[in-house]
Amino acid sequence: MQLKHHVPIIILMLSPIAMLLIVLLSVLYGARDIDASTVWNAFFHFDEANVNHQIIMHSRLPRAVGSLLIGAFLAISGALMQGMTRNYLASPSIMGISDGSVFAITLCMIFVPTATSMDMIVFSLIGSALGVAIIFSLATLLPNGMSPVGMAIIGVIIGTFLSGISAAISSYFQISQSVSFWYNARLDQMEPKLIMLAIPFAIVGIILALLIAKSVTILSLGEEISTSLGQRTLLVKLVATASVVILTGISVALAGKIGFVGLIIPHIARFLVGLDYRWVVPCAGVLGAVFLALSDVLSRFMNYPFETPIGVVTALFGVPFFLYLIHKRGGGKHA
Amino acid sequence: MRKSTARYWAAMLTCAALVLAATYMSLTNGKFDMTVMDVIKTLLRIDPVPEHDLVIFEFRMPRIVTAALIGFGLGIAGAVIQGITKNGLAEPGILGINAGAGAAIVIFMFLFQGTMTDNGLLATLAMPLFGLIGGLGAAGCIYMFARRDGSLDPQRLILVGIAISSGFGAISLYLSLKMKPDDFEMATVWLAGTIWNANWEFILSMLPWLIILTPILMWRAPILDLFQLEEASAISLGVATEKEKSIMLLCSIGIVSACVSVSGSVGFVGLLAPHMARRIIGIQHKHVLPLSGMIGMLLVVVSDFIGKTVFAPVELSVGIVLSIVGVPYFIYLLYRAKKR
Repeated sequence: MQLKHHVPIIILMLSPIAMLLIVLLSVLYGARDIDASTVWNAFFHFDEANVNHQIIMHSRLPRAVGSLLIGAFLAISGALMQGMTRNYLASPSIMGISDGSVFAITLCMIFVPTATSMDMIVFSLIGSALGVAIIFSLATLLPNGMSPVGMAIIGVIIGTFLSGISAAISSYFQISQSVSFWYNARLDQMEPKLIMLAIPFAIVGIILALLIAKSVTILSLGEEISTSLGQRTLLVKLVATASVVILTGISVALAGKIGFVGLIIPHIARFLVGLDYRWVVPCAGVLGAVFLALSDVLSRFMNYPFETPIGVVTALFGVPFFLYLIHKRGGGKHA
Repeated sequence: MRKSTARYWAAMLTCAALVLAATYMSLTNGKFDMTVMDVIKTLLRIDPVPEHDLVIFEFRMPRIVTAALIGFGLGIAGAVIQGITKNGLAEPGILGINAGAGAAIVIFMFLFQGTMTDNGLLATLAMPLFGLIGGLGAAGCIYMFARRDGSLDPQRLILVGIAISSGFGAISLYLSLKMKPDDFEMATVWLAGTIWNANWEFILSMLPWLIILTPILMWRAPILDLFQLEEASAISLGVATEKEKSIMLLCSIGIVSACVSVSGSVGFVGLLAPHMARRIIGIQHKHVLPLSGMIGMLLVVVSDFIGKTVFAPVELSVGIVLSIVGVPYFIYLLYRAKKR
């Protein structure tokens, strides 16, 4: 246990350096060759007329920052969900929450065509809340619903359902292309303005996550234990869910659907720092940030000079890891 | 016993009648309106009009036949897979077989893009084969990861399936992005699960699989009943469980792959049809299997008709219609199952 406490501190201390390095990588490499001195100048002697400077400050930097943030949000959401439900498969992408967001955004595009970026974020939040609500209530209503397999299947089914409706509505109103453009991994379209708008939400979400982390640790021991220790489990679940909804909602609003980050990073975090969610939550956050930003850099090289959707890159790492988890931990035991 | 047989035939006949009714609706309705007489005259070859021939034989008929065949195939395969895994939530799509077959076919399109149009029939016949290889590949992965201590754990099967399915999905997406624009369009339309570009060649290419593999499954249906017991009891009754599981899984995968190679990934049929069939005639698999096929047929033909007409002028792919109609019903089913 003594040793375990060093690990999270080391991770958290090293993370700023890692993040800085990745931001540098991300800014330096891209479809257009820009040398390091130009990057330096863009940061410190910004020249409005220089196209390269424009690219660095208005495209590559927001993109790097955005991918760091989204990675962190998704990983924290995943960690909270896994702790809260004691379900090692719980995660924003598997549970169909992103599909709820997409559904709401589709409605928003049709009925509120004048919506601002802020409205979109709000709609995205409402949508992810809707997704969570549907899936959790079904999971409690249905036989075996809270088991990993049950929840995964309900998530997949509801996800398919919501995205089916979204597809139907959007093709009826002939906005399929803009919807698909909107939610299919838009890391390359990151708008600085949107990031700024998302930050207040993110702060609330992360603070909630950190505040509730200790209670989630107790909850992850089991509902009975948690209740007998005098914890108000329902309150804890509500706060944790609120945090998940906020963080997942803004992630989708910023970049669309990105799978697997929220699933695998919490596992890695727990593997490294143990089961105390006071450490798991922040460590998952920084690990997720680094992972997604790295995947984003990779996505530019897999099919150079074309970009590969970030979802493909994360699945490339995510799927083998997921299989390993199932193989190692066994499905039956947790089902 | 008598009663259940009578009930089975009644259900089969009702389904067949409904399929015919849906076929009739589908034949007469569409962008090009035809009267009943037109359709009948065209079908019976009474003073044929070339225009009507074109609409009926080249556009509407192949589509309906394809819908019927894939519905039948997916329904039966779903019933078998649910029987083997003893899990009412299992489905070819959830197990990743669709995605595996899909990825293989995208690879096929990718490798042979351009040459595909030249030798039409040969390429068409090769597609289900590629699909089969992909389906088998997916099944192989599932087998490898879901096996533990020499037996196939049904729960793990599903978890691994979900992973495999998203992995192959990513591969398909990646490859389809590297294609030429024309092929890309074809690949994406196809990946969404659609049958609008159905033609007789496709039907010809999938038919052998259905004709050969369906009887094998029907013949083994009683063994599925034994699988519902504890594994040990089935073994003690003299069933070579692992061998039987493998044979039946292989046959189902063959059918699913052939269907997917024609229609893309059409989900939910394999999930819904067996549930509905079991509700109607109970758990005997020699009845459940064919009835699942018939219900699947009905579901896909009707969904295709809905997708074609309700949202006109836009066409919805049959997969989307199925998920919108099917999910609420499916949840209702699960809910009922708990209350009982």
